[in-house]
Parts: sequence; C-alpha cells; structure tokens
Amino acid sequence: MRPEIENHWYPVAMCSGITTPRETLLLGKTITLGGQPGAFWVRDAAGNNLQVVERYGHLWTSPGQPERPLFTIPEAEEQGRRLVDCGSIKVRCSPLRAVENFLDIAHFPFIHTDILGAESHTEVERYDVKIREDENEVWATKVKFFQPQAAQSADGGITTDYMYRVAAPTVSVLYKTCPPRPGAWDVITLFVQPLTEEWCEVWPWMALYDDTTPMSDLVSFQQMIFMQDRSILENQIPVKLPLDPGMETPTQADLTSVAYRRWLKKIGYTYGAQVVAA
Amino acid sequence: MGWVAVGLGNDLRSGMAMPARIDGVDLALWRAVSGAVHAWGDRCPHRGMRLSQGFVRGETLSCIYHGWQYDSDGGCSYIPAHPDLVPPKSICATTYDCIESGGLIWVELDAPTSKPPMLPDAAALRSLQIAAPVDDVAAFLEAPDQSVIDTGDAVVVLQPTDKASCMIHVLARQNPKQTSRWAETLRKQIEEKAA
Repeated sequence: MRPEIENHWYPVAMCSGITTPRETLLLGKTITLGGQPGAFWVRDAAGNNLQVVERYGHLWTSPGQPERPLFTIPEAEEQGRRLVDCGSIKVRCSPLRAVENFLDIAHFPFIHTDILGAESHTEVERYDVKIREDENEVWATKVKFFQPQAAQSADGGITTDYMYRVAAPTVSVLYKTCPPRPGAWDVITLFVQPLTEEWCEVWPWMALYDDTTPMSDLVSFQQMIFMQDRSILENQIPVKLPLDPGMETPTQADLTSVAYRRWLKKIGYTYGAQVVAA
Repeated sequence: MGWVAVGLGNDLRSGMAMPARIDGVDLALWRAVSGAVHAWGDRCPHRGMRLSQGFVRGETLSCIYHGWQYDSDGGCSYIPAHPDLVPPKSICATTYDCIESGGLIWVELDAPTSKPPMLPDAAALRSLQIAAPVDDVAAFLEAPDQSVIDTGDAVVVLQPTDKASCMIHVLARQNPKQTSRWAETLRKQIEEKAA
C-alpha cells in the first residue's frame, strides 16, 4: 500500500474496551491488539509490533511511518470536562463517506428531525473553510445552525455555533456551543477506523462541560444520532467517495465537503475514494 | 432493451417511493398524489443518496438526505439549505419512461420504440423475488427467451434484476390462493435447481 495511505494514525479500539487480545482489520489487513493501560500493543499479521499511542480514550496505531505525531485537541485536556467513550458502530460504507457526513449540517432537519434540526429552519448560511497548510488540516469556522435540541443538556431550540476540523483523513473533530457554559466549546469527535474501503468502524468520543446528564444518556444520545446517520451512509451510490467533480453536485452549504475532497486528492489519500468518475 | 415490468401497480400506493432494479440498474419508483407513476435512477445528483428512500409531497419527490425536491420531469425545484436559490436546470435526476398497464408498472431504460406488451385478461396477484437468473425461470417454464409466459391458470412476467436473481410478477386467471401457492412452489423448485 502507498505511504500516502499508510503513514497516518488510525483508531483501532476504545482503551476501556480492551480486555483480551483480539483481531480487527485496518486498511483491509488483519491486525491483533491487546495489553493494559500504559502497555497496549498492536501487531500486524506477520507479528511485527506497530507504533501505538493511547489518547482521547482510544488506541491509535499506524501501519506506516506517520510524518507527524498524533493530532492534539487542547480543549479536551481542560479541567472539568467529562470524557465520554461512546462505543462503536460498524457501517457498510467508505470511511471517507462517514467523515464527510459528520462534516455536513444541511442534513440535520431531515435525518435528525426535531433534534439537531427542524424543517422550519433549513437554511445554511455562508461559513468559512480553509485548508491550513501548516497543520495540514481542513477547518470550517463560523458555522451556525438552528437546533431544536442541540445536546442532551440543551433545553429548547437555540442557534448553535460550530467549528469543524479534519485532523487526519479519517478523523474529524467538531466544536459546538456548550449550552451550560457560554463561551466554551463542547468537543465531539468522529474517529473512523477503515476496516476496508467499503466498511468502517466509527468511534465517536466527546469531551463536554456537562456535570448533570447521566453518562448512559450522553452515550445513548450520540448512538441514536449515529444510527440515524447510518441509514444514509449505507444507501449512497457509489459506496466510495467520488473525489473528482462531475459525479455529484455540491452547493455553497457543502463547502466543507468540497474542501475535504480537494484535500484528500491533494495529499493522495485514495483509500475509500472513487478517483475516476464513473 | 424493451419494456420491463418492475412491480404491481397496487403495491405502489400514492405518496410512496420504493426501489427496483433492472439488469443491475437501480431505480426509484414513486407515485405522486395524483396517481402518476415515475421511474428514476436511484441516486440523488447531490450526494448519491438513494431517491427510493425519499418522500413524496404532491407531485414531487424529495431526497431524504438534504430534502432536495424534484418535479415530475426530474428537475430539481428546491434546495432547503438555500431557500432563496432557484436551482440551476443542470441539477436533474435521471428519468426513464414509465407506464402502468395491465396492473403492472413498466419501465423502458432506452428510448421507447413500442408500447408494453398487452397482457392476457388476468388479475395482477403478487411479485416474488427469485434467487436465480431470469433465464432459469424461462427455461423452467419451457419458454426460453420469453418475458411474458402464459401457463393457462397464470401469467408470469419476468424482470431481470441482476446476474444472479430476478423478480416474477404473477397474474391469476382464477383461484388467486392456489396460484399464489403455485408461484411459491415454482420459486422453491427453481432456486433448488439453481443451487
């Protein structure tokens, strides 16, 4: 496999969920993982140890030689946040389609009806999108959307501010208005493990200012949202994400997705992508 | 390729959308509130979502993903993320000719040069999926290369879906219960033979 694909960090497990050694897939190849906190390990099929990092509730590895250390989320390190392991959901779709859906707000009124959006408020206002060359990340800022129930801790409808960040080809982080603490951002991530080009395991994870909502409610809220997304992700044609323009039709609301696709193409990341227009 | 039956008219109620397939081509069938039937390519031009999962309002079909709304000619008429925008004419679903005749819904993927076949006088009964190629069904009924097969008690109309499976649409001359059981037995025999 090409270095453009291997030389990235990938999530392969929730640290709190690792008990006995187990096999999983990464980029179509079998790996084995196990160990204890502080001493987790990942091995390829030939028995070679791969690099590992434990961070943000998850175990990260790379089959290649990543050019950069694992991305950081400084906000997630702040005192007083609750760190929420949300478990995982396997989805029969391209890992890149899963990330792109996470970056999209225009679907909220139709897929997360009366939760993250409502049909009475569908407009997506212009926002800023940039490929940050220094960090090699995609960022969308000044994103605003009306939400009937933005989070488990939200009471009634509010206009929610968002920032979206693609920190690695299969990793996205979103920052959103934190209802109990104006001025702070809640952090919700989508860590995607590419099992194959058309099958992925999605690990959502959160770092929230919310001292009151029971943990099980936080987890089931996020699981419900992602189950709704899965009904879309398993019904897109083609299954792989088309990187060339022409096959699909973006509008201004899709600027993040356009930048994501352009960035993937620029860095040569084609795993789960359809490069030649069908 | 000629007209292909894709379902029973009665199975597609007003305001409903459902998927169908002809020779590997995925279709969204939908019936407007007026009763008109439509067969479109099963993907929204925006982000490839299946339009067969969409919702019908009046004479329009909307994609479930972002609510993009399409008129009966396939042209996009409304994009909810941009309520004031008049969508460019270039945003258009793929449309196919679609006719309801003899109790069945017929689709022609190419430009139509004829009308759907006239069916014998029989009542549209049910559709069944068969896990065998369409040629196996025709051969089993000793009517190779035919797509409308009259067995006397029943009329069987064949729909190739992909290489390994097909649909049959069954019409009954009389005794619908008996014909329905016969069709199930037929399916079982063909699938056993194919396996």
